[in-house]
Amino acid sequence: MSDMLLSNLQTARWPKIKAPRAAGFVMLAGLAICVMIGPDLVGQDPAKQSLLSPQERPSAEHLLGTDHLGRDMAARLLSGAQLSLSLALLSVLTAGIPGTAIGVLSAWYGGWVDRGLGAFADAVLALPGLLLVLMLAAIAPGSWWALYAGISLTLWVEYYRYSRQRARIVLSSPAVEASRLLGLPVRLILLRHLVPEIGPGLMTVAAFGAATAVTAVAALGFVSVGVRPPTAEWGVMMTELLPYWREAPFLILQPVACLVITVLALHLCVGGLHKR
Amino acid sequence: MTQTNPFIAALAQRGLQAVVVALIVGIVSFAMMQALPGDAAYRIAAGRYGYDMMDAASAELVRQELGLDRPFWAQLLQWLGALATFDLGQSAVYGTPVIDEIATQLGYSLLLAAGAVVVSVLIAVPMGIAAGLRPGGLVDRVSLGISILLRAIPAFALGVVLVLIFAVQLKLFPVAGFRGPQHLILPSLTLGLGLAAVSNRVVRDAVVEAMDAEWRLFARTKGLSARLTLVRHVLRNASLPVVTYVGVQMAYLIEGVVIVETVFAWPGIGHALVHAIFGRDIAMVQGTALALGLIYVALNLVIDLACRAIDPRTRAT
Amino acid sequence: MSIVTVSELQVFAGDERLMGPVSFALGAGETLVIMGETGAGKSLIAQAILGVLPNALRMEGEICVNGRRVDTLTPAERAAMWGHEIATLPQEPWLALDPLMQAWRQVAETHVHVAGLSRPQAQHQTAKDLVALGLNGTEDRLPGQLSGGMAQRVAFAAATAGRAPILLADEPTKGLDSDRRDRVTRLLAQVPKDGGTLLAITHEASVARALGGKIMVLRKGVLVEDGETSSVLTKPQHSYTRDLLAADPVEWEKSEAPPRGDPLLIAEDLTLGRGGKILIDGLNLTVHRGERIACLGPSGVGKSTLLDTLAGLVAPMRGTLCKADGLGSHAVQKLYQDPPAAFPAHVRLGRSLQDVATVHRTPWDQVEANMVALKLSPALLERRPDAVSGGELQRLSIVRALSANPMVLLADEPTSRLDPITQKETMALLGQLTEQLGIAVVLVTHDRGIARAWAQRVLELGPQPEPSHSG
Repeated sequence: MSDMLLSNLQTARWPKIKAPRAAGFVMLAGLAICVMIGPDLVGQDPAKQSLLSPQERPSAEHLLGTDHLGRDMAARLLSGAQLSLSLALLSVLTAGIPGTAIGVLSAWYGGWVDRGLGAFADAVLALPGLLLVLMLAAIAPGSWWALYAGISLTLWVEYYRYSRQRARIVLSSPAVEASRLLGLPVRLILLRHLVPEIGPGLMTVAAFGAATAVTAVAALGFVSVGVRPPTAEWGVMMTELLPYWREAPFLILQPVACLVITVLALHLCVGGLHKR
Repeated sequence: MTQTNPFIAALAQRGLQAVVVALIVGIVSFAMMQALPGDAAYRIAAGRYGYDMMDAASAELVRQELGLDRPFWAQLLQWLGALATFDLGQSAVYGTPVIDEIATQLGYSLLLAAGAVVVSVLIAVPMGIAAGLRPGGLVDRVSLGISILLRAIPAFALGVVLVLIFAVQLKLFPVAGFRGPQHLILPSLTLGLGLAAVSNRVVRDAVVEAMDAEWRLFARTKGLSARLTLVRHVLRNASLPVVTYVGVQMAYLIEGVVIVETVFAWPGIGHALVHAIFGRDIAMVQGTALALGLIYVALNLVIDLACRAIDPRTRAT
Repeated sequence: MSIVTVSELQVFAGDERLMGPVSFALGAGETLVIMGETGAGKSLIAQAILGVLPNALRMEGEICVNGRRVDTLTPAERAAMWGHEIATLPQEPWLALDPLMQAWRQVAETHVHVAGLSRPQAQHQTAKDLVALGLNGTEDRLPGQLSGGMAQRVAFAAATAGRAPILLADEPTKGLDSDRRDRVTRLLAQVPKDGGTLLAITHEASVARALGGKIMVLRKGVLVEDGETSSVLTKPQHSYTRDLLAADPVEWEKSEAPPRGDPLLIAEDLTLGRGGKILIDGLNLTVHRGERIACLGPSGVGKSTLLDTLAGLVAPMRGTLCKADGLGSHAVQKLYQDPPAAFPAHVRLGRSLQDVATVHRTPWDQVEANMVALKLSPALLERRPDAVSGGELQRLSIVRALSANPMVLLADEPTSRLDPITQKETMALLGQLTEQLGIAVVLVTHDRGIARAWAQRVLELGPQPEPSHSG
């Protein structure tokens, strides 16, 4: 899969901040602040129904209006953001740290360790990622944990492949050979050679991985095999609100906008276009 | 070193991938079966004889017959053994053989996939070439902006937006289902736009690289006209990364088929898979997931062969 | 009548003059060699004649080809001359050939589409061309399967198949070892003998000498000297020309042999190989304290593998390598062909040097002293490897290696990517400093001149095992 991705990432360096990238960081920071302090500001219970006031337009009481069951949209969107972003962050960490570590170990030791891990990674990638997440999620329907495990399982491969491929190149370079001959300890070889070489690329993998996770959660919610209603989740909200598009088009567009902004922010802050 | 025919090697590699796909699908389906609440024997007996006719004795018969009292690994082996003989079982919901269901759905899914690829090629190739011939120009920058934006919209969200605009607001195309060619337009557009969002940039990069290549200038300075250089050298060299990239996109295509079919209630395999997961119809889940996985492998094999046809280096020994 | 006339040619980037003014006139059967270091603006002359100057550059002056003024023509009109009136030999033949097309097809297509031959005629002519260039057997190969020398000859056949009377050759011998270089040079020298006009750009005096004709010496874009090649090369007037010629290793003064010390490394009956293929069979070599040994041979003969074995990086297939007692585990150090690739790319040079000094408890004063001895400014330490010239970086890598207090320095083509003048300076400084410190150097090179002038012993490695002679 990743030859193209890898060649794309090989040119990645510590970023020079440019306008689109800065916009990405600003959007991401905004999202993070909203998720952290937003619920207090809105002050509404995302689950509280009010069948007397369904599909209300935005007002002082309900900043973004209410849905078909009279629940506060702002509170539900924020609650959905918490769910998606925390899951994305967690799966990036649980996939990224071991994925990178065993990628580097694989490159460092080579031999059967490398071949075994490579075969495992190939096996995970034998199916398109979302298909695997879909099936794993189906073992325990509606479970947050199944979703999280499935996403992490598909995401680690990219860290593994990227860090292994880059580390192989770096570790076999004349520069590392020279450092070893010069007697530099392993710690310095990793710090001076490997970290600067694979750091920026890993950031890119992480940002796109987070975007993939957010998209996967919403996609599965949307096709009713992920998180279950009444949990407030963007994909689930889109399914729920789709029938009411005619009376209240502003409602269905809200979760769509949240999703697009999040993915866009993640893409922009590492340079825009992920070729996969 | 032993020389292996690279063609055979490519076939063997994809063959192995197909086996791995079948194993993963089989094991996960088995796990799904085990994870279902309640006694499996009772459930199967109820499925066979109906709730009214079923009792502890018939459940016990089922248990004996299917070996449900045997150890876990023996059941798994039996499950995978059935899969190996292409015995996909019967749908719990429809009561029909899974293989028949898939046979009817397959055509629809392939139609959608083909439609999406056609849409993406029609958009990506001209746009990519236009952008690549003048890198940094207006077309290049605009297409980059649109690509980033489109890439950020997940397929199902794009589908919803397109439905709202074209089907509901403008009433140009039908919303969902499949009753005629006009139903194909919106789903293929949804999926095709997602594919084109990235592939137009790949075309653009390939064109830029080919135009900057020293061999292109040398072909010109040895006396070939611009047109001959394009036909004899640039097109083939530029198409190689593009075709390779289409292979990378196959994962996106299969994922997209699952999601987009569901959005548009398209009667294909992906829709059936989601439906089966929702309805706990495990035989159907296994069958459809297997079919999608094998299509994925087959498409990748086609790409491998296309790359070999374009690139003589892979044929040289 | 003159075929190519260039008058008062200058090339500008904005207001800055990169090259010129130069004027010359060349007739049929004549040769002009343009000589100078990299960055001297030599290539701009060929690009201006051909009409492929980068868009950001602007030219002034007049260029006439076959009596027609060409610098005022449209790009399309100029392109129409390519292959028919002017042929060009590429600098990097590997990159200039279509990687997906067989060698013979790239020649034959010129015969068909430029010279207007029929397909059978073109095939026949292509086969003849390739045989004449000693390329029989390589017809069906792809460029990736050709050696640099072969690729240059295929490019030559493809470029000249259109029978253009003028040939521009920009650094045609770049990256070739001396045998292959001589072969390409002979090919070029044949062009004027057949009535053509040759304009060759090179930084190698030996190539200029073999081509003869007229010469122009450029320094930073400015013409410093011109005349008949033979007289300029034998009696240079300008000091820069003299430096350039003196930098040719053939002209180097033979260094004096320092007294040979105790043995440090003893290799007995070494058999080396890569990928199961035997490269060097049954080699015996003893490296003594303070001596200089050169390993000479064409590319692919196993020189680098020998160095890696001496450094302990690869194990020999057979034989033994003994280290003298008291030789620490870091007493053998290595210098690399491509200095930027030998340093961590994202780390300040000062930090790279400090790391080594710290690990080996080398006082920083000593590092600084070595830098002074190698004429390196302390300001370089603040920079990263990509912001330092190749010559400076190679000297910095000498400083770095010395900070590990080595007894043996293995140098793998340390100056092959450097300009001749820089190369001479670097090798001289390396010689001085290692002699002072009593460090043995094993130098790998493909340049016989360097090997003979710089080392006391030359170890010849060839595809067929030759008796190694010591001096």
